[in-house]
Amino acid sequence: MNHYFRLWLTSARYSIMRALMFRGDFFIWALVELFWMSVNLLMISVIYDHTKLVAGWSKYEMMLLVGTSMLIQRFLMGFFWSSIFEMGRNIRSGHFDFFLAQPGNVMFMATTRKIDPDSLINSAVAMAVVIYSVRQLGLHPSTADLALYVLLVACGVVIHYSMLVLCITPAFWITSAQGIEGSYFTLSEFSRLPRQAFHGLANIAFVWVLPVVVVSNAPASTLLHGFDLKVVGWLLVITVVWFSLAVILFHRGLRRYSSASS
Amino acid sequence: MLSTLNKYRAVFSVGLQSNLVYRMNFAIRGFFSFFHLIVVFILWTAAYTGSKAIGGFSFAQTFTYFVALIVVQFMIGAFNEDYQISEDIRNGLINQFLLKPVNYFAYRFSIYLSARLVTGLLILLPVLLSYPLLKDYLVLPTDLWRLTLGLPALAMSALIQFGIAYCFGLMSFWFLEIQGLVILSMALESVLGGQIFPLDLMPEWLFRISQYLPYYYQMYFPVAIFTGRINDPTLVLNGLLIQACWVLVIMALGQVLWRRGLRLHTAVGG
Repeated sequence: MNHYFRLWLTSARYSIMRALMFRGDFFIWALVELFWMSVNLLMISVIYDHTKLVAGWSKYEMMLLVGTSMLIQRFLMGFFWSSIFEMGRNIRSGHFDFFLAQPGNVMFMATTRKIDPDSLINSAVAMAVVIYSVRQLGLHPSTADLALYVLLVACGVVIHYSMLVLCITPAFWITSAQGIEGSYFTLSEFSRLPRQAFHGLANIAFVWVLPVVVVSNAPASTLLHGFDLKVVGWLLVITVVWFSLAVILFHRGLRRYSSASS
Repeated sequence: MLSTLNKYRAVFSVGLQSNLVYRMNFAIRGFFSFFHLIVVFILWTAAYTGSKAIGGFSFAQTFTYFVALIVVQFMIGAFNEDYQISEDIRNGLINQFLLKPVNYFAYRFSIYLSARLVTGLLILLPVLLSYPLLKDYLVLPTDLWRLTLGLPALAMSALIQFGIAYCFGLMSFWFLEIQGLVILSMALESVLGGQIFPLDLMPEWLFRISQYLPYYYQMYFPVAIFTGRINDPTLVLNGLLIQACWVLVIMALGQVLWRRGLRLHTAVGG
């Protein structure tokens, strides 16, 4: 454990140094993310200009949901996105060899190599959105509720991580997997919607089969309505299931990897 | 004159062929758009549960707007033209155009036209296939003036779309990496171009301001004419005038950037 933490710390230090070297880039990308987050908030405020409730959620409840979804996504972006995104390209180009030679589990090494400080900075903005919404709603969550919220957000990050790995892993089988990374973004769009808005087929697909809706709804509703064993238990179970799926598929794929370089 | 036309007709046909080769890319894009449409459907259904009309429009009208937006996007949207131009400059591929009697703008524009012809026709396929599912939620006004004024608006939107991408691509003369800038402007376009929500739902003052920005004429304007979100022909004529001004401004800007950029160009590679 300690060994992996030290490995991670070394990569993190390297990433931060790199970010400081390209300050202009860092600034622009931080701005890009900030802008996209504002776009989501703007959409909420425009919709709520014309209606009071969306699927039973008031404006600030919705903002809490979107803030939570953004928080999870920023953490994913900050800690894993670049590494996993590059993994797809590395598998195609053969540069993936590099990770096989490293002193640790291949999946760990390949998915945690780079961190994005710009996303991590924006996670503070997402957190501010959550805190602001909690204030506006006049909520006073207990320490236990907050701890639970943190745990559920962490589960959310693990689930998103697993989904992203599952989106990229097909690169082991199909060489031209252009655009599959986009499928993750498409799925994550659903996580900004309240669970109550889903009916029929959509409910089965996006609430029960795919974890995209529960991931953001579970922590948000814990802050709003307190602890609910069903919600928390469900999220914990699917965290384990999806993470296991990602690990299994990744290692299956790894066995098929046959280096492309000469 | 005729030989000039023939030259770009050849470019057009090459573009057509290469786009048909990459039909998988199109399929992936179409697939994502479909999921985006599901999100739109779920969100707006939920928003409409409390009220019959939002901003004076029914659910069907709003949903039709979003479907039309996707179709128009595939017909005129600039997908990665800025990126291709930027790559041409960075790799030095652009040098070959400087040595031949080929106008780079016309060359790129021909490719853009052929690409949009392919994607614009292909997108009709899923729309037609899903029509039985969607038809209860689609309402299109049938006034003739919408067609006669909407088509020129659509054509000018295409020019604005391409023109903006062209200008961003040319930024590569000055900056090595334009990806960040492009995505920043994409975010701006998606809001002020009406892709996130119909612009008429914005607060009145913001909507007024947006009507003087080029983004309004990139996508929202023609779609709003066709789907009945703008109902006054004189307003449309007024809009067409502003749109024409933006076309001229953006084309001129493209020219200026091209001339100035070439002076800086060091022709690497080639």
